Amino acid sequence: MSAPHNGTAGARNRALFVNFFRRELTTRYLGSTSALLWAFLQPLLLLAVYHFVFTSVFRAGSFDGKSFLLFVAVALWPWLAAQDGLTRATVAIPGYGALIRKVAFPHEVVIYASVAATFALQFVGYLVVLIVLFAFGEAVRFEGLVIAIPIWVILALAITGIALALAALQVFVRDVEHVLAPLLTILMYLTPILYPLALVPEGVRPWVAANPFGWLVDRLRDALLDGRLGLHWSDGIALLVAALLFLAGRWIFRRLSPHFEDFV
Amino acid sequence: MSALLSLVNVGKDYAKPDARGGRLRLVADLLRGRPAARVFCALDGVTLEMSRGESLGVIGENGAGKSTLLKIVAGVIKPTRGTVAINGRVGALLELGSGFHPEYTGRANIDLAATLLGISPAEINAKRAEIIEFADIGSHIDDPIKHYSSGMVVRLGFAVATTLSPDILITDEVLAVGDESFQKKCVAWMERYLEGGGTLLMCSHSMYHVQKLCRHALWLKDGRVERLGAASDVTQAYLAYHEEKRAALQRPPQGTAGSAAAGYYRIRSVEMTPAESAAESDPLVVTGDIDSPDDRAPVVLVGIVRADGTPVYGVATDMDGVAPRATGANRYAFELEFPRLPLLPGKYFVRVHVLDPEGVRMFDTLEKALVVTGSSREFGLVRVAHRWRVADIVPDRKDNAVTSISAS
Repeated sequence: MSAPHNGTAGARNRALFVNFFRRELTTRYLGSTSALLWAFLQPLLLLAVYHFVFTSVFRAGSFDGKSFLLFVAVALWPWLAAQDGLTRATVAIPGYGALIRKVAFPHEVVIYASVAATFALQFVGYLVVLIVLFAFGEAVRFEGLVIAIPIWVILALAITGIALALAALQVFVRDVEHVLAPLLTILMYLTPILYPLALVPEGVRPWVAANPFGWLVDRLRDALLDGRLGLHWSDGIALLVAALLFLAGRWIFRRLSPHFEDFV
Repeated sequence: MSALLSLVNVGKDYAKPDARGGRLRLVADLLRGRPAARVFCALDGVTLEMSRGESLGVIGENGAGKSTLLKIVAGVIKPTRGTVAINGRVGALLELGSGFHPEYTGRANIDLAATLLGISPAEINAKRAEIIEFADIGSHIDDPIKHYSSGMVVRLGFAVATTLSPDILITDEVLAVGDESFQKKCVAWMERYLEGGGTLLMCSHSMYHVQKLCRHALWLKDGRVERLGAASDVTQAYLAYHEEKRAALQRPPQGTAGSAAAGYYRIRSVEMTPAESAAESDPLVVTGDIDSPDDRAPVVLVGIVRADGTPVYGVATDMDGVAPRATGANRYAFELEFPRLPLLPGKYFVRVHVLDPEGVRMFDTLEKALVVTGSSREFGLVRVAHRWRVADIVPDRKDNAVTSISAS
């Protein structure tokens, strides 16, 4: 009989990724038109709240000669991407249960699509926030994006790895998502996102500085606040760590995913 | 060419965690690549081959491993033992109505199912309209399919399968949904798919559908192959097995010492007067003798069907509050008279059935051919009592005019 199928498994899986990715984007907001609106509106609302809290309530208008709001914004959105990416991807598998029980396809595509959708939305929000801050007279160094974008990619790679492991575990042990939420909140306050590392008491500073997310925050601030574009030796280590996290996560996922069908 | 699909000694164990702690241990075992500590064997030692254009029906009781087998063939689960080889391309295989996400609209699901089959976006665009037209579910195509009736989902599934023509089509009990006319449509669709050279692997509890659609059948029992062969042989063996199982349950305890035939009501003979052909409106008498091993009066049902199988009339002794009369030890007889048989000329069969005294289960059937002769030009099966209220004679057409007639 006539056979319209062609292409390789790779082509099919890429097409599947695009399908899931689109779906993830549209289901997060109601329709495909409002999705774009929310992607712009939500970060601006959040920015307005932070502006109110830091500039009007705490009166932390500036720090070290730089705007405090910009200082926070540059670090906050990558964190939101990481947090949102992990939270959503961890519970993504059951949402595709109807497919997993019936069709053969690499389940990890679900996680890739989920993380990619989160990062795409948050990165758009990041750019919107930077542009709006610039329009209000903040000294955003846009040439810093040359460093900032690769840093985002490294972050996405690492988060994908962790998400793969967590999502696979979540299928078998439902407690994962409940442990994850408070853990992420704690981690956020232990990272110098809302405060500079310099304000941390000397005794605990090395501990806070050891946080890998703190490294990422520093690099982003160097690039986008100071316009320092040089590469650092730590960039290579970060890329290596992210790649290892990804490979480890994928290994765990691939070990467990053949048994999803029975548990989703 | 070699087989399209071949399974060699395939088996599947399911991991069985018992508690929350059990699940953690299960994950640890799986990560270390060890088999799970506690397993349930759903399938074992299945070997089979299917070539292109083949149709195989998988039958068996609930929990026999039918769905597990289908899932292994579909690649949804990996077998614990044995090998599965599919000699086809990416996405050569489609389970009817699968590849659908309940949250997606019908339209989005067409794209998803096509993507899962490895069809390029350009081809999907070219085929989408055809699929939507075939599915014929109107504006529902833009609703999420979780709001569909099960019949509509199958419809969409058939539209996808027909248009995208996979090498192997898998169906798991899809014919169980929908009303009879919908089922007929499904069967017609599948027949067309098979005529087009498609390969079908179906799982069904309906022996009728298996016999109608499949050349071969596989009977699974407790995860093992009980029988594999021609569909008619395997389905008959399967039905016989059920027959015996039911009989073993129904046999009264006091009858344990009886012969193998104990509990079976048999028709010894049936006589008709007149024997083979009767004139219109003649009387017809049907008589018969019945064996009743437990000496209880069975229910006798006499039915008339036309030669093409259309039922005309049927009546049972218990409907009329009567019973066959005893004529000796374990013997009963009946006599049924139709004083003026209202059958129109044609060929009929008179069928005599014997049922248990409860009138629940049929044990034996005997059929006699009956030709009704006559020159009536009326249409249909029987003469229905009627009376015309018209002018006696149509003046212009005296030659073939009919005076008012009445028939009782």
